[in-house]
Amino acid sequence: MTETPAPGNKPAEEPKELTAGPFGEFLREHGIASTRLPDSTGVETVLVEGKDLEAALKRLRNSQETELNYLVAVSGVEQADSFESVYHLWSYTNLKELVVKVRVAKSAVPEGKLPVVPSLANFWPAANWHERESYDLMGIRYSGHPYLRRILNPWDWEGHPLRRDYKQPVDSLNDKNPHSMR
Amino acid sequence: MSVELSSPDLKTDEMIINMGPQHPATHGVLRLILTLDGEICKHVEPVLGHLHRAQEWQGQNRTWFQYQALIDRVDYLSGMYTSWAMARAAEQIDGLVVPKRAEYLRVILSEMNRITSHLLWLGTYLIDLGAMFGFPFYPFREREKLFDLFEEVAGQRMMFNYIRIGGVLRNPPFGWFDKLKRFTDEFPDRIDEYEAIVTENPIFLKRTKGVGILKKETAMAYGVTGPCIRASGIPLDLRKTKPYSVYPELDFKVQTMDGDGDTWARYMCRIREMRESNEIIRQAIEKIPGGTTEELRKLLGTTGPEKDESKDLDPSFLLMAKKQNAGLRVKAGEGFAAVESPRGTIGCYVISNGSDKAYRFKWRNPSFCNLSVLPELLVGAPIADIMAIFGSIDVILPDVDR
Repeated sequence: MTETPAPGNKPAEEPKELTAGPFGEFLREHGIASTRLPDSTGVETVLVEGKDLEAALKRLRNSQETELNYLVAVSGVEQADSFESVYHLWSYTNLKELVVKVRVAKSAVPEGKLPVVPSLANFWPAANWHERESYDLMGIRYSGHPYLRRILNPWDWEGHPLRRDYKQPVDSLNDKNPHSMR
Repeated sequence: MSVELSSPDLKTDEMIINMGPQHPATHGVLRLILTLDGEICKHVEPVLGHLHRAQEWQGQNRTWFQYQALIDRVDYLSGMYTSWAMARAAEQIDGLVVPKRAEYLRVILSEMNRITSHLLWLGTYLIDLGAMFGFPFYPFREREKLFDLFEEVAGQRMMFNYIRIGGVLRNPPFGWFDKLKRFTDEFPDRIDEYEAIVTENPIFLKRTKGVGILKKETAMAYGVTGPCIRASGIPLDLRKTKPYSVYPELDFKVQTMDGDGDTWARYMCRIREMRESNEIIRQAIEKIPGGTTEELRKLLGTTGPEKDESKDLDPSFLLMAKKQNAGLRVKAGEGFAAVESPRGTIGCYVISNGSDKAYRFKWRNPSFCNLSVLPELLVGAPIADIMAIFGSIDVILPDVDR
């Protein structure tokens, strides 16, 4: 039997610093700091700070150079020590693609609170439902979202089902109380 | 189309009514909370999740091998594409090169699946518009023929589980390619028949022309894909714009419509796509390495499809690049892969940690994204047009709710 790898896809030791790719350079030219992460199967992946997210995506979307105007998906991911919000950006007009990640360390999240990432929904409607879904299933709060409400689960559902520490209700169909004797 | 009904002495009040989730025209279980001013829609709130089956959770708690069988249910009208998206994501992470013959079989079967999906849409959409006179069953005639062919290959009519990580399950049986060829020969005539009834039909034109106009900019902002955005004039078709599999070797056009992108344009775009898919199938049958199953058998001089793995075989005739067993593992890594499904870009974001289960699965479903533009389209439309507009987006609710 092979041993089961630890949860999360992070390698044990951090790989050496990667040099910025074309999009990383582009962001730096416009005064936005970003860190390059290991490529996601051949696609440049950058990590930006939450406060820079809106400026970065607006630049990438509207600039003639990049034209990353197709937001494919927003995914919430729980890693071993952090929460990530992952944005897959494509273009309607060219072949470019980019993955942008925002990380919130678990240690920075106060007890009983949700990790907070700024919302894109106000200037990019495509993000609206994706962010609601990520909030519903992964419990990431998107600050500034116009209508952050559960989308797939019932409105009064408790917990966020894709979290690693989520406990299923005993009878999730009929009874939400986990201590129910039914 | 927006209609103004107002009069200075008419006292009006807004009314909130609930459409669905058991409404027959919502293609499953969608609930719309409508705020109406008389006949006119002022605000729409879609309520999703009645069919939520936690597909992502299941992907993370079942092995790769088990989950392969489940994902056809994500979008049950085009199961080939959900399988294909997931298989491509895993292949990218694993660095697998799928054999050519398997790629061609994928293209043939998934284009067949595109036709069946559009045919069902055509039939049910006419019902949505009130055409209860029997037309809806004509598309089902062709659909049944294709389902018989699917059954012969995959053993199932709708939930195929045929495209696997690394290839496809098996070769089609003897005589299958001939049957398919016969189908492709007669299918254009069948589409002509549908068009003769529907395309120029004055009632149909009245219900669809200028209704539910989806502007380019709105469509792009909302991440709309598939026939909906091509009908608005943007040539986004992953088969051309981000070519995958063997599509670069095949000759076909992306079907876009000029004009506003109204409901009629979306109908016409799908009709043209069916013709195009038919052409793709015809070409793929000609070009498939090894030819039909009989020819392949003759070429190899063997008697069973099981002999596919013999040593002297041309590697492009193989079907599978990875062993299919319960211990199927995918290397550690992450990746996003998407294919062009009948409804648009269906994608799969996978994070694998090298074990027999995925660490994180995220589906990017075309119906989910296309549906988010619905409130935008419905505001200002009369209540009678709601189903005409909703139906024309071709949403499939299991794909929205997963």
